[in-house]
Amino acid sequence: MTHTHPTAASGPHALTVSGLVRTYGTGAGAVRALDGLHLDVPRGSFTAVMGPSGSGKSTFLSCAAGLDVPDEGRVILDGDDLTGWSEQRLAEFRREHVGFVFQSFHLLPYLSAEQNVALPLRLAGRRVDRTHVRDLLARVGLGERRDHLPTALSGGQEQRVAIARALVTRPAVVVADEPTGSLDTTTAHGVLELLRSCCDDLGQTVVMVTHDPVAASYADEVVFLVDGRVAGRMHSPTADAVAGQLAHLDDLVGVR
Amino acid sequence: MSARTAGLALRSLRYRPTASAATFLAVLLGTALTGSFAALAATAGGTGVSATDAETLMIMGAVVGGWGTLIVLFSVASTVGITVRQRAVEIGLLRTVGASPRQARRLVRFEALAVALVAAIVGAGLATIGGRALLALVRGGLVSESVSYAGGFAPLAAAFGVVVVSGIAATAAGRRATQGPARFVVAEARSETVRLGRWRRIAAALLLAYGVGTAVVTITVSAHSDDPYAPMQTSGASAILVGLGLALLAPLLLRWGAMVTRPLLGRGAPAHLGSWNARRRSHRLAGVLGPVIVLAAAAIGVLMLVGIDGRTLAASYDPAGARTVTLLNNVVVGMIVLFAAIMVVNAIVAGISEREPEFARLRLAGATPAQIRATVRVEATVVGVVGVVLGALASTATVVPFAWARGEGVLPDAQLWLPPAVAVAVLVLTLVSSRVAVDRVTHASGRSVRAGAR
Repeated sequence: MTHTHPTAASGPHALTVSGLVRTYGTGAGAVRALDGLHLDVPRGSFTAVMGPSGSGKSTFLSCAAGLDVPDEGRVILDGDDLTGWSEQRLAEFRREHVGFVFQSFHLLPYLSAEQNVALPLRLAGRRVDRTHVRDLLARVGLGERRDHLPTALSGGQEQRVAIARALVTRPAVVVADEPTGSLDTTTAHGVLELLRSCCDDLGQTVVMVTHDPVAASYADEVVFLVDGRVAGRMHSPTADAVAGQLAHLDDLVGVR
Repeated sequence: MSARTAGLALRSLRYRPTASAATFLAVLLGTALTGSFAALAATAGGTGVSATDAETLMIMGAVVGGWGTLIVLFSVASTVGITVRQRAVEIGLLRTVGASPRQARRLVRFEALAVALVAAIVGAGLATIGGRALLALVRGGLVSESVSYAGGFAPLAAAFGVVVVSGIAATAAGRRATQGPARFVVAEARSETVRLGRWRRIAAALLLAYGVGTAVVTITVSAHSDDPYAPMQTSGASAILVGLGLALLAPLLLRWGAMVTRPLLGRGAPAHLGSWNARRRSHRLAGVLGPVIVLAAAAIGVLMLVGIDGRTLAASYDPAGARTVTLLNNVVVGMIVLFAAIMVVNAIVAGISEREPEFARLRLAGATPAQIRATVRVEATVVGVVGVVLGALASTATVVPFAWARGEGVLPDAQLWLPPAVAVAVLVLTLVSSRVAVDRVTHASGRSVRAGAR
């Protein structure tokens, strides 16, 4: 496992969240999506976050990536504490330090594969390094299709472009929200191998939310969430072990 | 079954009345405008109207009103089309829960017709007032004082016509929205370069040919007519006809325009995004370009026509009559320009509000709200500049032959400041309404970037 990578001055963790609380709504109908969540993500690791519907997986990912602002608690990403930042500052921070991969790809339909990959650089006002962009497209296996528009690509290919786009700024963390949720099993396998290789070959930190035990088995570690808190962790997971644990999450938190 | 669709349509209308506000406004004003002139034409058939007066009223009602009718029909069709297209996702959803394409189309058609019917009836009411006002305007100058209003059912006939056009537009848009199989995950409409339909190209060719043809006829035939208004009758609508023809070709023209204007936009992400969006999704922004072309063409063409007419005729011809013609022309110009401007604003607002998911996606890719606003500004600039240039080009179909026929030569003698002034006004309208629309959308999505995060 490539858990320990040459660390920056900012410490061994790419991401640290502590005491995260996020409540939606008010009064009797209020839902406490995160309820004092703590989690450290080591640099260069591949972490899968799992849990039943409503366990706070997606809320956690949004808060950790600076998309959503928690009501309480801290998010320390690449050594920076995001507490109290304005949306403008968060947006500028996100595009330099976080790469996003979504279930529905989120490519811009009027930009070619290469233009989509280069987009975060352009938005950050940085010079577009064509060689870097083309290397990334080659790495995800789409070097030949860099001029194609998203409509001319299959779902798996679109997700590969999205992964290349997430990597283009060399972010501290790549967050992936159900990246294989819209893909068939074979295509999903390829995308997960790609995420795995981002960690192994590039030393990239990846945090992935998924509900699929097979997807989770590609990670170094699985974190189980229940009711907005970490209920358990599993190192070097296998699909069977993850599925078994998911079926018995009650054992982790005790029956309430 | 049909009654059930109707019930669903009415509930859907009650649920969000604002969605159909644009259709309502377009049909209301459209009926008021065309109905007023129809009433004027109908008054020609009233009792005790002399033959000359009847002819004058007919010409004003049918010919002058005809220019306006073209714009009205175009804008009603485009507004209804936009309203239906905005609901593509919902229509897809209805189909996944068992609505047949026919039922979905019927729902869309029924909604459009229900809104259009109410708006048209109110509009017809306004038209009986408008018709009387028009008659009061021309009485004494162009027709004798004794002519009394006899609009009768003409405003209702105009209302009927507008409702029929709304129905046809809704049917066509509904057919487009229900093409292809129903899908479980309703994909957003993302087809890129759409080829122009055959009928669209044929209609564009006919409009362009007719517009250019009337311009040629003005120079070769009606310029030599004894009636000083003959050239106006033949060339008055040419600018609008050519403008409408170009508007039908808008997706194609926008692709070229975006390529030509690219070097002028500078560097930076917004210029990059705006320019590629205009080029690769030209059919969407074309919904704005079309109205901008028509607005610029109508405003420049008809305003200069009125100016030339005032300069060359006021002195030599019956002054009271000439004054009334100028006044009448100004009223018509005002209404046409107002109508085209409403259409531009409506197209811009609708076009931007349906792009909310795209803006959320850009936010997720790292764009700041300021960059999104800048992108929209670039697009509005491209559309505005291309539209104004093409509109000015279309306006020459009226201006050049009419100036020639009235002895001013190829270029009018005065008012050459008018085209640039109209150009600036249209550009400002385009930029300001884009800005207002995008502010509304980014404000809404700014609070929750994560709304699109899946």
